[in-house]
Order: sequence, then C-alpha cells, then structure tokens
Amino acid sequence: MNEIRFTLNGKEVAYAGSATDRLLDVLRNEYRCTSVKCGCKEGECGACSVLIDGTLLNSCCVAMGAVEGASVVTMEGFRETKRFAALDKAFGELSAVQCGFCIPGMVLAAEALLSRNPHPSEDEIREGLSGNLCRCTGYNAIVNAVNNAAKEGNGLW
Amino acid sequence: MVNGYIATSLQEALEIRASHDVVPYAGGTDLMVENRQGVEYLFLNKVSELKKITADDEYVRIGAAVTFTEALANANVPQLMKEAVSRIAAPAIRNAGTFGGNLGNGSAKADSVLIEFVSDAKLRLVSKKGERMVDVDKFYLGRKKLDLGSDELIAEVLLPKKGLEQYSYEKVGGRNALAISRVSFAGVFAAENGRITNAAAAFGAVADTVLRYKDIETTLIGKTIDEAKAMKEDYLKAYAERMVLTRGRVSAEYRKNVCMNLLRDFLTKFGI
Repeated sequence: MNEIRFTLNGKEVAYAGSATDRLLDVLRNEYRCTSVKCGCKEGECGACSVLIDGTLLNSCCVAMGAVEGASVVTMEGFRETKRFAALDKAFGELSAVQCGFCIPGMVLAAEALLSRNPHPSEDEIREGLSGNLCRCTGYNAIVNAVNNAAKEGNGLW
Repeated sequence: MVNGYIATSLQEALEIRASHDVVPYAGGTDLMVENRQGVEYLFLNKVSELKKITADDEYVRIGAAVTFTEALANANVPQLMKEAVSRIAAPAIRNAGTFGGNLGNGSAKADSVLIEFVSDAKLRLVSKKGERMVDVDKFYLGRKKLDLGSDELIAEVLLPKKGLEQYSYEKVGGRNALAISRVSFAGVFAAENGRITNAAAAFGAVADTVLRYKDIETTLIGKTIDEAKAMKEDYLKAYAERMVLTRGRVSAEYRKNVCMNLLRDFLTKFGI
C-alpha cells in the first residue's frame, strides 16, 4: 500500500517512487507522456500543463503525493477526444503552431477555459492562456484559433 | 508512501505534524520551485476542514487549503482580496496556490498576505494541544521566519467583514501575467461623520516582511479631510524617513519612489 494510485488518461496506474517527486518528471520518465514539456520548473511557462480532475495545473509544481486518487489527463489522452479534433483543426487552419513546444500546454489551457466558459471573449481567451508562454507566434494566431474552435466546435463544450 | 503522508482529516494531519518532521504541503507552487531535498511532505489537499470559506458576523474565514481560484468564486471574500488574488500569476497557479501556502512560504511578496496585513487579519493556528489566534503582523518574525511551532498548522485566515470597502490596490510587476511583485501596495480608508477612522497602508515586496507603520497612520485618525490635507506633506515625510527598503530584483531607491508615489495616490484618491 506504499504506492500512489491515480488515473492517467483513463487508465489506473500505481507509482512506487517518492511522494516528493515532480509529476512532470514522472509523467515524462516513468509513463513516457512526452507531450508534457519541461520549460522552466517554476510554474512560469505552462509548457507542462496537465488537467487534474479537470483543473489546469502546472505539473512541475505538483508533487506525486498530491495526485493520489486523482484523474490526470495529458495530451496523450486528450487527443482521443472530439474537443481535441476541433482545437486541432482550428490551430492547423490558422497556422497557430510554429515550433510546437508550448502547444500541448496551450491546447489543455484552451480545453480548461472552454469547459468552464464555452463562448469566451477575446480578453477571456487571453486571460485563460496567460500562464502559457509562446516564443514563436506572438499569441494572436493561438488566440484566434481558440476563438474559432469555440465557434466551430459549438456544442462540444 | 515514500517521503509523504496524506492526511484526510485535520485531526490526522495534526497527529502526523506532531510526530514527524514534515513540511506542510498545500498547493505546492512555492515548495516545488524550492525543491527541497530529503524532506517529507504532509499533503493537506484532502483535509476538508481546511478547504472551507465561512463567514460569521465579524469575519470571513478562509481555510488554509482554499485555492485562489476558489476564493475568487466565493461571494463572501472581500473585493480587495479578490483584486489582489486575481492578479497572482496565471490560472494554473491560482488553481493550485492556497492562502495557507502564501503565508507559510514566509515571503513579503505574497500578494494575499499584503491584504491580510492592511486589513488587520488574524490567523488561527492549530495543533494537537489546541489552537491560538495570532495577528498576521505578529506571525511574521522576519524573512522566512514565522511564529509557527513545528507541531502547528495554519488553519484559517480571518478577514474582517466590514471596513474594507474603500481601498487602493496596486501591484507593480515586470509583466501582466506570471509577475512576481516588485512593489505592491494596499491601502484601506474609512471615515465617519466627516472624520477619518482608518487610513491603513501596507507595502509588499520591498523588505523582509510586509511593512506597515501604524503609529504614522494614527496621526490621521479623527482628522477631517481638510485637516488631513493640510498635514499631507508632513505625513508623507514621516513615511519617507521611516521606510528603509532593501534591494531585490530592483533597486531600493526605485522601490522607495514607487512606494511613496502609491501612498500619495492613495491619499489623493480619498480626497486628501
């Protein structure tokens, strides 16, 4: 009973390592969820964003002991959903992706925003994505993509 | 579990706190950046007693494990606190960060703590032996030094329900989101029958702890707005003489100028 049990992308898993380990490191190294990127390890870039029980969190700032009993979703799981398909299409059509490093976090931040607020204003989108840094696009294309996904994916959120 | 304990009730948390050398873990957003090695965490995120916001006649009581996002959605939390909390970092950090963690980290940059200083908040600390109330300014003994026993936990923050309606809040950071305060300021003003009853001013991120000079504030109490106006320059001078600031990410001179400008704006806002 020493293990930390949680659900990862719908599958039950048990982690036998330290409760003080970073969720970010465990997701990448133990479970090979390499969509979860390490940008800063300080909660300042959002590249490691995941959904825990539906809430957006920076996995670099979560210790393993805090996920006991929780449901963790990364891009590896989210990409199987219709919502992802709507976001994927919108990001592609607007060329909102350049190097791609921030995108898994951006998309999960968009999902967290839209699941609370299906029809956000531009300001609300910018606020929802404000913890996710992108060094390529200058954000406008990403904001427009989330706006388009919200419109075209009407009813999904 | 290796290197950690998960408490599911406050009583269980206090038992573990008393019998083991543990670091209380609420939201993790500061602890995980610090990344201390060789420690054991006491996870408090499942302790329901610490996750409530309640209100009585006098106080709004915010549990130590309440997140900033939860506080923003609660009708009992004063607008002044909401304004400060809404500008902390970004959504993902506000989803994790807690009031207890902001206090327990011991930093003078903690944005919710500034509001607790300016509003004369009290903290309820608990241990297996019982509980005690402490004024927030007494809780901070110095940089990263807190009046918290090794068997104690912060249970809740008690914010006064009344008197926080008229305020100024300013956070000066390097960018809009994800900004650590370079200077933060909160002022609370109140007057009755034309006489000033409160003119509290607190300065964050500029010294080892949040700064407040209650003896200077007192000189405005009981004055009319016109009387206060007449003594404004002397009042500001008193602050300028007392305020000894440290250098941080920005110079002490910059911090002092910004503090004095924000204090002047606060007085001006309320007609002084």
